[in-house]
Amino acid sequence: MEFVSPEGLRLDGRRPMEMRQLRAKIGAVDKAHGSAYFEMGNTKVIAAVYGPREVQNRSQQLNDQALVRCEYTMANFSTGDRRRKPKGDRRSTEISLVIRQTMEACIMTHLMPRSQIDIFVQVLQADGGTRSACINAATLALADAGIPMHDLVTSCSAGYLNSTPLLDLNYVEDSAGGPDVTVGILPKSTKVTLLQMDSKLPMDIFENVMQLATEGCKAVANYIREVLLEKTKERQKFHGV
Amino acid sequence: MVGLSIGEKHFIEGGVAQDIRTDGRRRLVYRPIQVRMGGTEVIASVKAELGRPSSLQPDKGKVFINVDCSPTADPIFEGRGGEELSTELSGALQICLLGGKSGAGAAIDLSSLSIVGGKICWDLYIDGLVVSADGNLLDALGAAIKAALSNTGIPKVNVAAGASSDEQPEVDISDEEFLQFDTSAVPVIITLTEVGRHYIVDATPEEESHMNSAISMSVNRKGNICGLTKRGSAGLDPSVILDMISVGIHVSEQLMNKLDSEIAAAEACEEE
Amino acid sequence: MLQNKSFVRKTRQGKVVKVVREHYLRDDIYCGAPSCQVCDTKDARLSSSIPSVLVLDTNVVLNQIDLLENPAINNVVVLSVVLDEAKNKNLSVYNRLRALCSNSLRNFFVFSNEYHKDTYVKAMVGESPNDRNDRAIRVATQWYQNHLGSRVQVLLITNDRENKRKATEEGISAETVESFVKSLGQPELLDLLVRPQSDDVHMVDSEDLRPSKRKVIYTEHKPMSEITAGLHSRIYHQGKLRVNRYNPFEAYVGSESIGDEIIIYGRPNMNRAFDGDIVAVELLPQEQWQEEKSLLLADEEDEPEDDVHLVPASADDAPRVANPVEGSDGTMKSVASRPAGRVVGVIKRNWHSYCGSLEPMPMPAGNAGIAHALFVSKDNRIPKIRIQTRQLENLMDKRIIVAVDSWDCSSRYPSGHYVRTIGQIGDRDTESEVVLIENDIDARPFSSQVLACLPPIPWSVSPEDLSNPIRQDLRHIRVFSVDPPGCRDIDDALHCTAFPNGNFEVGVHIADVTNFVHSGTPLDEEATQRGTSVYLVERRIDMLPKPLTEDICSLRADVERLAFSVIWEMTPEAEIISTRFTKSIIKSCAALSYVEAQARMDDRRMVDPLTADLRNMNSLAKIMRQRRIERGALTLASAEVKFQIDTETHDPLDIGMYQIREANQMVEEFMLAANISVAEKILKHFPVCSLLRRHPSPTKEMLEPLLRTAGAVGLSLDVSSSKALADSLDHAVGDDPYFNKLIRILATRCMSQAVYFCSGDLSPPEFFHYGLAALLYTHFTSPIRRYADVVVHRLLAASLGIYKLPNIFQDRPQLTSIADNLNYRHRNAQMASRASVELHTIIYFRTRPTDTQARIVKLRSNGFIVFVPKYGIEGPVYLTARGEKGGGEWSVDEQQQKIKKMDGSVCYSVLDTVNIHMEVVEPQPNRPKLQLTLV
Repeated sequence: MEFVSPEGLRLDGRRPMEMRQLRAKIGAVDKAHGSAYFEMGNTKVIAAVYGPREVQNRSQQLNDQALVRCEYTMANFSTGDRRRKPKGDRRSTEISLVIRQTMEACIMTHLMPRSQIDIFVQVLQADGGTRSACINAATLALADAGIPMHDLVTSCSAGYLNSTPLLDLNYVEDSAGGPDVTVGILPKSTKVTLLQMDSKLPMDIFENVMQLATEGCKAVANYIREVLLEKTKERQKFHGV
Repeated sequence: MVGLSIGEKHFIEGGVAQDIRTDGRRRLVYRPIQVRMGGTEVIASVKAELGRPSSLQPDKGKVFINVDCSPTADPIFEGRGGEELSTELSGALQICLLGGKSGAGAAIDLSSLSIVGGKICWDLYIDGLVVSADGNLLDALGAAIKAALSNTGIPKVNVAAGASSDEQPEVDISDEEFLQFDTSAVPVIITLTEVGRHYIVDATPEEESHMNSAISMSVNRKGNICGLTKRGSAGLDPSVILDMISVGIHVSEQLMNKLDSEIAAAEACEEE
Repeated sequence: MLQNKSFVRKTRQGKVVKVVREHYLRDDIYCGAPSCQVCDTKDARLSSSIPSVLVLDTNVVLNQIDLLENPAINNVVVLSVVLDEAKNKNLSVYNRLRALCSNSLRNFFVFSNEYHKDTYVKAMVGESPNDRNDRAIRVATQWYQNHLGSRVQVLLITNDRENKRKATEEGISAETVESFVKSLGQPELLDLLVRPQSDDVHMVDSEDLRPSKRKVIYTEHKPMSEITAGLHSRIYHQGKLRVNRYNPFEAYVGSESIGDEIIIYGRPNMNRAFDGDIVAVELLPQEQWQEEKSLLLADEEDEPEDDVHLVPASADDAPRVANPVEGSDGTMKSVASRPAGRVVGVIKRNWHSYCGSLEPMPMPAGNAGIAHALFVSKDNRIPKIRIQTRQLENLMDKRIIVAVDSWDCSSRYPSGHYVRTIGQIGDRDTESEVVLIENDIDARPFSSQVLACLPPIPWSVSPEDLSNPIRQDLRHIRVFSVDPPGCRDIDDALHCTAFPNGNFEVGVHIADVTNFVHSGTPLDEEATQRGTSVYLVERRIDMLPKPLTEDICSLRADVERLAFSVIWEMTPEAEIISTRFTKSIIKSCAALSYVEAQARMDDRRMVDPLTADLRNMNSLAKIMRQRRIERGALTLASAEVKFQIDTETHDPLDIGMYQIREANQMVEEFMLAANISVAEKILKHFPVCSLLRRHPSPTKEMLEPLLRTAGAVGLSLDVSSSKALADSLDHAVGDDPYFNKLIRILATRCMSQAVYFCSGDLSPPEFFHYGLAALLYTHFTSPIRRYADVVVHRLLAASLGIYKLPNIFQDRPQLTSIADNLNYRHRNAQMASRASVELHTIIYFRTRPTDTQARIVKLRSNGFIVFVPKYGIEGPVYLTARGEKGGGEWSVDEQQQKIKKMDGSVCYSVLDTVNIHMEVVEPQPNRPKLQLTLV
């Protein structure tokens, strides 16, 4: 199958180094302490953050840092064919774990001992790169909740099809069976906090693909900063500062 | 559910009695509706699949209703926490929208879903997802489903001729032609919550925490009641129920009109 | 860069799944005109000198690709919507169009109109996809006209009446292909045009004026929906139709649904299907399975003509075993044969263009205009094709290429159109080119990208090579090569050193081609495609460019060369004690020919070290050979012939059997051993991605004709295993010295060919090589001329940890497809060599009518097939003139394999020796053929 035409266009009209359209909104769930809606093309997710608050299950309480918990759920209607998935299937458990670990790395948990932070991400529509979208949404939601963080975490994926590195795979490209590298970075220090790949890739090509994904993360970071800045300005106006 | 002090409880109760609620609404006034009602946000989706009709009703399609509560709405929905509420809500929706076992009186004309009698029909999956909970989930879900249905197009199906009778016929899905649902028959759901000795519509969580009992009714455009459920444990006087119903029907008209105009506006927006 | 306007496009596939995809529109898609002021002209492909630009409609692309390939059509914009449609409808047209677009000599530019913000069109409510695409084409044309302004004329070429009308309404200049081509003023281009269907009917009318002839000859194909339903309910069976190369009225459809081959007898049952088409077949009632055949063979108006051809080298070349001379024996009929069927529809056409000539016909009287002619393909599996031409006189004595366009059920033959002329019939160059085209062999010179991958010439071993730790310096060893005389691409060399303890170190050194051909380079891709070098009588078509094959890689004498070596330590009894593999540097001391090597060994007076090495090797080889034969390896014989070619005229001077000497066998033995050692090594390291070679055991059915022939002369062969067969072949000694060889030749042609495969695709027992009686086998020893060996070199290098395995090995389907391609190329190369020999045989006998001896190998109802050992050819000898079939004069005794004259005066039986006369005759002008007659 041809994923990149000889004219250098992908199936959806992007060039190999281009990301899908990003869209984000802060404050999607009123009740939550912080929430965000994040779109990467047709992948749409909502993240809600509750906390820091009292630890619900005393036995889990940590005396020197905050407990971070995360749950990832996919709506029944998020994929093309409707599937009723039981909650807590392996895939969602795994992604929950990945998101938790990634977010934990940037939250200053030591500032909030004996408290709990819940991050819930809900996929409304899945079109490849849900992992990345969830992490980006969670970052925004954490920022919205005012939880102290070292840096934003942003994530983006890249793949390798038709001997071309491709940024931000959509579902069709993702299901082609090629390698899919998901990278999460702290954009200020460009430290990598998340790195996952399935399928095989030779070392030298992997470097290129990962470099591309990192560039993608930086672009996401710029966008997220813009969104946050705008929201802050809005709040400033609202509060009359 | 919501931690309220005794004073707050009295305040709500008293307010309701005087027809003034905490957010300044009167008893029978809904909050502004978008796809959300106040802080309650639900998403409804309709998906259609080809399936086999049940042997009891060979000439009718099937409709499944299911509700999920996302933990984003409330941390208590985490893990399996939302299941109880999900089941309660889907049960209530089924009663309100699907009518009897025979399918008669259902909001959706089931026979329109049949493709080949006894062979193929459309299975309609209606999924509701509660993204943010701020009271009155049922009414919000009902409205969302109505909106979703009116936005649903089912591709036209051509059945290949000549297949022998004992096999599943081949079908050809048309790319261009869609069947639009007639949603005028889809009812809206009104929940009247009894607080003290009065009843209110579109209760907030604070008010819900204070309810004695509630009646959810689905009312169609003609003002006929399509389904009715009572929730909550306290008993209700039959005369009160009748009274509630008549109020409900009255409110439904407003809600229906409001919803229709919203849907029309949304469709117009999409056209662009 | 990103045009941030996204929207979704909804499609539906298969089941009812709603697919939502994004579709980004861009403003950085350029028009491709070099003179454009607005666009980036970096990738501009259009010509600036031609003032008009053509935009093609999909129907033009799909039907007129032959025309488009003609250089007269130029400066074309190919829209992505057209490419997409073409890809969905006809992949081969799509590939040809893509090739045109990437050809730097042509000005074809791909414009991605679907992604351009101004040319994207969204389907309107109630608009069919077709109409939408037509509209998209018009919008794009309009855009071009506006974009390029009035100095350039943009012309839409469409054969869709409706589209043309709408275009004209919208102010776009549009023309049909016919009128456009006419306007070019090159009448020969008109021959390339595919005639629209409506014309077709008209044409048939004009040809057969008698109304009675306008009957429906073939049954109508079933509509696609009915076929799918039928396949679903297993009334019909789907498969690829393969026409018998030796009897075009018989075809086979391999069907998975019934797990057997379905035989299709006769053109009416084939129902217009071509060889290679994917068809839907309906089984005939069982009682018709047998009758069908005898009935139809007699019915057919033009029976296939048997030509003199080379002796088949394997079962794949030979006609299928289809119980020849049917009916005389009652027992044959009761055997429930394979199911027979008839084609009800064609699911996918395999039409392409064919090589051949026009059927001789009288010139139409005083008609300077259009003539209708019948085209006869060289490939006799293809039916005659009806074409229209304006240059009949010109084409009559030419080899031409013709493409098929349609086959209406009321016409006996398919209609096609002329594509191009190759040259004069019978001319050696023309006929050689025909051979190449027929066998899909790419004989074009290597492209500049490929040549750019070569190391600079003159090349020599560099200090880096010498200091490379993976490379062992073996220059001090006495290495030599033995090859056919005049061999310039020497890919193997040998050495044999005696150890003081009596053991020998024997080395096989193979040219280190992979040191120069790196995976993924254009050079490598070209070699993958070519697969093998092709040896024709008068020329060689190389797999790799000449500097590599004849210089850098060739292990010539007295120069240092890089090699990949297999080195064994062997006892004098030829037992292998140890095996090692290494990359090396060697310096061959002598490049011997087989004759020279043989002469040295035979000459007792020669005692130099090289000759001693040769003798040692020879004695080892003899033991190894003996052991191999004991294991059950077959010594098969082929009737290879050798031409002596005039260096000036390239005409054959003499022709004779290829002589096999001991020296040949010696080299062969060590090559086999090296291949087996390498096969074991790579399979151990890469159990699922090794490229191996296997030779399937022949089935009972395949050996059937051999047994029958042998039985007729009172010889019983045991075919239960290769060992048993080898033994009984050894014991088959007849009255004359040639008898044994003849039987071996007959046995060889019963075998199928060995094939390459990927080890992951089969289970170990299937790896067996029947002919060599080897559990494992591969090709390692000829990387200069076979790509399989290049692959194996890479595998071996990786198994030694010298280099990493290229990515492609991780992808099994791709590896399988490489193996398939190698088999295909290999087979084609053989067919081409054979065809080339056949061609030269005819050229040789054109001036030299000859009388010679021949052996009868097969009986026919009206004669027999003879084998001419001296020239390695085979052909029919007719006892009765064609046409007056049988006449009752001759009768065939199937049991005894005899053909008798009715009065009992003359009797021929199989394997008899007869004297024949060979002569080239021209029954029709310009159609020479070799005729065999009894003396």
